[in-house]
Amino acid sequence: MTPAPSKQTEMDQDSQPSEVAAKAVLLEECEEQFGLLQKLQNEIILADTEANDDQSNEAVNRLIAVTSELEQWQEMEPKLLTTSPDVLLAVGKEELQRLNSQLKMVLSCSQAKLDAQEKILKREQTWQAEKKEALNAVCEKITRLQRENEKSEHSVLQDMKRKINNLKDYHSSLMEMLSDMLAEHFPLPDPQGNGTKKKRAAAYDAEINLISLSEIIERLTNKTLETSHDPYVTTDDTFWPPYTEMLLRNGIATRHPEDCNKIRLENFF
Amino acid sequence: MALLTPYSKVPELNTATVLLVENEEELQSKLANAIVQYEKHFNVNVRLARKLPLPVENKETRPRIDLIVFIVNLLSERSLQSVESSLAHLHSDCFLGKVCFLVTDARCGSHTQERLVSVRKLAASHQCPVLCAEHRTAEGVNAAAVRLLNILKVTAGMSPIATTALYLSSLTRCSVTSDLDED
Repeated sequence: MTPAPSKQTEMDQDSQPSEVAAKAVLLEECEEQFGLLQKLQNEIILADTEANDDQSNEAVNRLIAVTSELEQWQEMEPKLLTTSPDVLLAVGKEELQRLNSQLKMVLSCSQAKLDAQEKILKREQTWQAEKKEALNAVCEKITRLQRENEKSEHSVLQDMKRKINNLKDYHSSLMEMLSDMLAEHFPLPDPQGNGTKKKRAAAYDAEINLISLSEIIERLTNKTLETSHDPYVTTDDTFWPPYTEMLLRNGIATRHPEDCNKIRLENFF
Repeated sequence: MALLTPYSKVPELNTATVLLVENEEELQSKLANAIVQYEKHFNVNVRLARKLPLPVENKETRPRIDLIVFIVNLLSERSLQSVESSLAHLHSDCFLGKVCFLVTDARCGSHTQERLVSVRKLAASHQCPVLCAEHRTAEGVNAAAVRLLNILKVTAGMSPIATTALYLSSLTRCSVTSDLDED
């Protein structure tokens, strides 16, 4: 069945007069094949009418058909259509061209598929990297939470001790800084300051026992913290008046409402 | 019962015949025109029918049919039912590569998905290929016509490389995967 139509197309191509002989040969072969076909067809019709309605399982049918076709293909030997070289040349050319175009299509198709797959691969890789990062972060968080959850009393104590130490360090550093700052910017008034001799003499006597600003502040804070029911500190000559005035005016200390010689540290919230 | 048998008639020279069976008769004529336009190397006879069994009057004059295409419109329930009833009128030898299913409107909604699944199961049980076509545009019709022509060439024996209809249908048959089965 297969050779008949393809030979027809060849006959259309071989229109050169020198190929008349080849055409005749081909026609003969066509007739032969067609006769064979008719015979087979008649056999099929007979077989059909005899064993009709053998509609058993389709799969069985298929199996039988496939195995018989397989046997046929195994028996069949490849043979040339005809020995005429011109016919073969024409057929070969056409076949090869068709094959060429089909293979080109296959090539471009598989290239496109490859590119698409590569894109997919890249995308999946970036996705995977992101997920890995997320996984790591989550794992770290889990371990941290687990550690926190595993707190026994001992570790609570340790935490507390640690925190207390930190705070103490912070406190001492703050105090240091405060005293440094006060010593630098608010020194005790210089006994050899400017002024007339008279003033100097008068001041000198009174300033022998002046206490520094840090001392003043220390006294105020200690009074407030230790005896909070009576946070007032009495100002006397050891307090240099400008400093007390500065504290009062800046709102760091306030006077006692009744006694003007007492000051206390201002409330801070 | 008169069954449509595949091999009861002698094939004609350089001719292939395809039978398009469609209940709604929407796509048939467009597809037929496209097929006939596309093929230049051999004659193509396109016969149209609404359902099987084919009318008895034409039995003698009808040529041997090489490919039977069942067109199923997934938007209507009756389309699938008529195809199922027509399948009973086919000789079981036809399913060895001479039957193909063409579905349209496969993307238009949820009912179509269920019907597509049932069409695929039907095709898988008979081991036939399923093509999806888009029938509203000319390009879709042309593309479907080209695909059908490829299958037709093989089933009519026009393919010179050793491809037979049975072989092609084994390659292209619709397979229903297991997760479809589990739906």
